[in-house]
Amino acid sequence: MAELISGRQLRRLATIGAVAAVVVLYLCTVGLVEAFKDRNVVTGVITLGAVMLLAVPLIAGYRAALPSRDPSAQTGAAQRVVLGLLVGLIAGAVLGVFVLIASTVDLRGVLVRISPPLLEFISFGLPSGLALLVITGLGGLMGALGAALLVSPARIRNAVTSALIAVLFMSMIEPLLRPRLEQLDYTAISDFLYKAHGLTEVASILCFVVGAGAALLWQPGNDFVRRTVEAAPFQTRRRIRGWAIALLVVAVLILPQVSGTFLAQVAVLVGLYLLLALGLNIVVGYAGLLDLGYVAFFAVGAYLTALLTSPDSSLGIGLPFFVALPIVMLGAGMTGLLIGAPVLRLRGDYLAIVTLGFGEIARVLFESDALRPWLGGVQGILGIPSPLPVRIDLELGATHIFATGPQVLYYPIFAFCALAALFAYRLSNSRIGRAWNAMREDESVAEATGVSTVNYKLLAFALGATTGCLSGALFAVQLGSVFPGSFDVFVSITVLAVIILGGMGSIPGVILGAIVLIGLPELLREFVEYRILVYGAVLVAMMLLRPEGLIPNRGRQRELHQAESEEEVETLDGDLVPQRSPS
Amino acid sequence: MSLVSTPRPRAAPMTDVILSVHHLTKRFEGLVANREIDFEIPRHAIVSMIGPNGAGKTTFFNQLTGIIEPTSGTIEFDSASLIGMAPHQVAELGIARTYQNIRLFANMTVLANVMVGRHVRMKAQWYEAVLGLPHVAREETAVEKRSFEFLDLVGLPRRYADDLAKNLPYGHQRRLELARALASDPKLLLLDEPTAGMNPGETRQMTDLIARLRRELELTILLIEHDMKVVMGVSERITVLDYGERIAEGTPEEIRANPRVIEAYLGKQATA
Amino acid sequence: MRFRLPQRINLVSTILWGLRIVVTVLVLAGSWATLSSGKLAPGDWRDLIVFGIAQGSVYALIALGYTLVYGVLFMINFAHGDVFMTGAMTAFFVARNFGESGFLNSNPIVALLIIFAVSMLTSMLVAIVLERIAYRPLRRAPRLVPLITAIGASLFISNSIRGIYGEQSQSYPTVNALQGRLDLFGIPILKTQALVIVSAIVLMIALVYFVERTRTGRAMRAVSEDKDVAALMGINVDRIIVTTFAIGGLLAGAAGILYALVFNEVDWFMGFLPGIKAFTAAVLGGIGNIAGAMLGGLTLGVLESVGPFLLLGGANVPSPNQLRDVIAFTVLVLVLIFRPNGILGRSEPGR
Repeated sequence: MAELISGRQLRRLATIGAVAAVVVLYLCTVGLVEAFKDRNVVTGVITLGAVMLLAVPLIAGYRAALPSRDPSAQTGAAQRVVLGLLVGLIAGAVLGVFVLIASTVDLRGVLVRISPPLLEFISFGLPSGLALLVITGLGGLMGALGAALLVSPARIRNAVTSALIAVLFMSMIEPLLRPRLEQLDYTAISDFLYKAHGLTEVASILCFVVGAGAALLWQPGNDFVRRTVEAAPFQTRRRIRGWAIALLVVAVLILPQVSGTFLAQVAVLVGLYLLLALGLNIVVGYAGLLDLGYVAFFAVGAYLTALLTSPDSSLGIGLPFFVALPIVMLGAGMTGLLIGAPVLRLRGDYLAIVTLGFGEIARVLFESDALRPWLGGVQGILGIPSPLPVRIDLELGATHIFATGPQVLYYPIFAFCALAALFAYRLSNSRIGRAWNAMREDESVAEATGVSTVNYKLLAFALGATTGCLSGALFAVQLGSVFPGSFDVFVSITVLAVIILGGMGSIPGVILGAIVLIGLPELLREFVEYRILVYGAVLVAMMLLRPEGLIPNRGRQRELHQAESEEEVETLDGDLVPQRSPS
Repeated sequence: MSLVSTPRPRAAPMTDVILSVHHLTKRFEGLVANREIDFEIPRHAIVSMIGPNGAGKTTFFNQLTGIIEPTSGTIEFDSASLIGMAPHQVAELGIARTYQNIRLFANMTVLANVMVGRHVRMKAQWYEAVLGLPHVAREETAVEKRSFEFLDLVGLPRRYADDLAKNLPYGHQRRLELARALASDPKLLLLDEPTAGMNPGETRQMTDLIARLRRELELTILLIEHDMKVVMGVSERITVLDYGERIAEGTPEEIRANPRVIEAYLGKQATA
Repeated sequence: MRFRLPQRINLVSTILWGLRIVVTVLVLAGSWATLSSGKLAPGDWRDLIVFGIAQGSVYALIALGYTLVYGVLFMINFAHGDVFMTGAMTAFFVARNFGESGFLNSNPIVALLIIFAVSMLTSMLVAIVLERIAYRPLRRAPRLVPLITAIGASLFISNSIRGIYGEQSQSYPTVNALQGRLDLFGIPILKTQALVIVSAIVLMIALVYFVERTRTGRAMRAVSEDKDVAALMGINVDRIIVTTFAIGGLLAGAAGILYALVFNEVDWFMGFLPGIKAFTAAVLGGIGNIAGAMLGGLTLGVLESVGPFLLLGGANVPSPNQLRDVIAFTVLVLVLIFRPNGILGRSEPGR
C-alpha cells in the first residue's frame, strides 16, 4: 500500500493529521471538552464532550479522503479509507501521548483545564499506557469512518449525516422541551425521550431512524413540492407564499404560549439583540460604516429611559414609559448625529476604531465616580417601572390565556422588531438604499452623481442610533434597572457577529444570526463561558469561508467573491460576450 | 475629414454662456496644476479641451464638479457660483460627468447604476419610503421606466438591465457611464476621454452618439480628448492646455494651425 | 480623488468646531485649575512623567508592530494587542518557575534573558500563525473583511488564552536586583522603569538598524512603498510580510515582559487596552512611520500619566485615575478625526 501513497499525499496527510491533533489538544486545553464532558447526548452512552473530540478525527478523515489535486495518486475507495484511518491515527496518537504525559506530570500549573477528572474522561478510566492505544485506535476508527462517509453514495452519506444531526438536535433542545412537556403534563413523553438531561437510548435510536428517513425522503419530497409549486399558476404561488408568511406570523405570535416561560425569556433576549442587529445592519450592512461602538446607543437609550421614568433617578421625573419614549428616540437621533458627524470623513478601519473609542469613552463615563451624582456610577439606576402588566390572565370562551413576565414583554419587543424589519426593508429597496449601495461602491463617484454622502451617512447613523436606543429602552424596562456593566464592548461585538453570521444587509440573515448566536448559548448553558471565543471564531470563519453571511443579500455575494465573475469570450466583431464557465 | 456623419451645425453665437471660468488656479503643495485659466462655454455647444498628458485637464474637471477646491479664481454656471459647492450640489445644478477610467458602481446592476444617476431628480424622502407612501412606489416605477429609456438612448440593449455593471463588455460600460450621467437631466455634460480604448468603429459610434445627444437633449458638452480626429470632427471650439496654462483657444481650424499648439505637442514628442 | 466638504456653515462643521472648542476649554481650564491650586509638588509631576515615559516605551514597542504591518499591508492588525498578551502570559510560567527555584535572583540577567526570549518567541509564533491563517487568504478582499477577521482573531486568541491558562490574573515574581531606585542625573527613577526604558531604546535602535541597513529591511521598505513593483524586482513579498509580522511579534513579546516588570499583573485580557493605546500611539506619531510610532508611544504614555491629574486634579474630580483610559481614547478619537496623518505623518497613497 505504501507505493500508492505518494510523497505529496503523505505531506498532505501529515498536515491534516497535525491540524487535527492541534485542534483536539486545543479543545482539551481550552476547557471545552471539560465543560461538556458531563452533558449527556445519549445518557450512559456518550456525552457532548466526547462528541466534540470524536468529531475532529471524523472530519479530518473526511478531508483526507477528498480527491487531491495530484493526478498521479490513484485513490480507490479502500485507499481513501486508509488515508482517513491514518489521519485519525495521528490525531489519536498525539492525544494519547498527551494524556500519558499529563498523567505523569501535573500540568495544571500551566494548563489549568487538564484536571484528573478530564484525563479520566478522555482515557475512559484506563491506565495511561492502555489508554494511549485505545485513544489512538478510536481516532483511527473515526478517521476511517469519516473517509468512509465520503466514499459512500450520496444518499447514504446524507442519511447518516442527517441522522446524527437529528440525534444531536433532539438532545440539545432538552432544556427547552423537557420542562415544557412536564409543564403540560406530558411526563410520559418526556420520560420516554429524556433521562438525566440526555436522550434515552431508545429515543436516540428513534431519532436516528427518523433523521435518516427524513434525509432519504427529502430529495423526492422536495422535488415533488417544488414541481407542484412551479407548475402552479402565478396567482396560486403568491397565495401560497402569503399563507406561508401568515403561518409564520401566527407561529411567532403563539410561541410564548406554547413554549413556556424559559423559551419566552430566551425569545425576549433574542428580540432585544435582533432589534440592535436590525439597527446596526443599517449602519454596517447598508451604508457600509463599521461601527464598533454601537453599544453606546444601547446605553444611551437605557440610561435616558431610566433617567426619565424612574422616580429614583437623579432627575426623578417619573414619566410614564410611552411619554418618555419619544424623548428617548429624539435623544437617540441626536446622539447618532453627534457620533456620526466627526467620523464622516474617516476611512473604514479608522472609523471602526474611532467608534470603538466612543463606545469605550461612554462606558467609562457611565461607570465613573465623576458622573455618579447624575448617572449612578457603578450602581446604576434602579426602580424603572414597567408599562406592561405583570401577568395576563384571561378567559376567552373556552381558551385560557395566561402569560407572565417574559411572555408579556415578548409581544412589544417583537412588534418593534417587526416594524424595524419592515422599515429597513422598505429603505433598502428605495432611492435611499440605492444611494447607500452607491456610496459603498465608490464614495467619490456617488457624491459626484448627486448623492450627498454627508447626509446619507448621518442618516444611517441616526437611524441606527434610534433603533439601538429603542432596544436600550426596552432593555431598561425589562430589567427594571440599568447598570454600566451591561454596556461593554462585547455587546457591540455580539451584535456585529450576528450581522456577519447572518449576512450584512440581509434582514432574514440577521434574524437567523440572532437566533443562532443568542438563542443557542441559552440551550447549551455550558457554552456561556466560551461565548466570546465562539463569536471570535465565527467572525474569522465567516470572513474566510462565506463573507456574505448565511442568508446573503443578493448583491453582496457577488461583491465579496472577487474571483467568481463569468468568463468572457471575444466574438468576431470584437464584442465581448459573457459566457458561463463550465463549473 | 469629418468623422461625424451628420453635417456639423454652425457654432452658436457667443451670446449665451453656460459656464464661465475666470483665473482658475489650483496649487498642490508646490505643483501648479492649473494656472489662471480663463474659459467659457456657450450654451448648447460642443467644446473640447486638449493638451498633453499632465496638462491639468482632469484637475480642471475635478474643480468644476466640486471634487477639488480651487486655490483661487471663479467658476460660474448658469449665473451661479460653483466655488465651495459639494459635488452633489453641483450635480443638482445640472453638471454630470464621465470618467477617464470607467468608474461604474461595479457590483450594482446596470439599471441600478442608471437609477442612481437619476437620484438628484427624485423626491422620495427616507421617512416617506419608510412609511411606504404610495407616491414613493409610483416614483420608483416611473424612474425605472425612464432609466430604460436612457439605456435606449445610449444604445445599450435592454436585456443587460439586470446584469452587474462589472460584467459588461468595455464598450457597453462606457455607454452605461454615459447613461448614468444623462439620467440626472444635466445641462452640461463633461466627458473625460470618452473614446479611450476604443477601436475606430466604436469611436465613430461614440462621436455620433455625442452629436446626437447634444441635438436631442439640448445639452452642452465639454470633452477631454486625445483622439484628434474626434476632437477636430465634433468640436465647435477647442481649448488647449499645457503645463496647467491655457495656451490657445479657438475653432478647430485655428487650433490646427496654431504654432504654440504644434510646439506643445511636437515638443513633447521630440523629447519623449 | 479627494472628497471635499462644503465650506459654508453646516451641521457637521458646527459639531466639529464645537468639539474643538470643548476640548480646548477643558484642557486649558483643567490645567490652570490644577497648576494654580498647587496640589501636586514638582516631585510628583516628575514621578508622573518618568512613569509616563516608562509606560510610553512599552506602548512604543507595541506600536511599532502596528506601524510595520500597516506599512506593508495597509491594514490594522487588531489582534496585535493579543500577540503582546500571549507572550507575557506564556513567559509568566517560566518566570514563576525561576522565581520559585531562586534562579531568578541568583542569576537575574540570564533568567531575564530567558524570560524575554520565551515571550518574544511565543509572540512571534502567534503573529506568524495569525498572518498565515487569518490574513493571507484575504489579501485581495475588500478592506472591511480583514478588519473583521482581525477583530475575530483578537477575540479568539484572548479567550483561548483565558481557557488555557485560566481566568486568574497572575503576578510576576519580583526580581530582587531590580528593587529600589536609581539616581539618574538627579532624577530618582525606579530600577524597573530604567530597565524598561533602556530595553526599549535598545530594541528600537536594533529595529532601525535592521530596517535601514540590512537587505531584508530594505526589502521591507520596498514592499511598503509598492508591493507589486517589489515583487517584480524579485522580492518574495509573502516572505517579507511574514518577516514583518514576526518582527512585530518579537517587539510585542518584549513589550509584554517590560509591561510585566512595570505593572506586575498579567491576565488574559491585558491585550485589549494596551493594544488600542498602542494603536493610538502609532496613529499619533504617523502610521507607517517607525520614528512616529516611537514618538507617539512616548507622548501618549506621558499624556496618559500626567493627564488625569493635570486636567482634573484641580477641579476636585473624584478618582481622576479612572479616567486615564478616557484620556487615551479621547486622544485617539481626536487624532483620527482632526489629524489622521499624525505628527510625523506619511501621506497616504490614493484610495
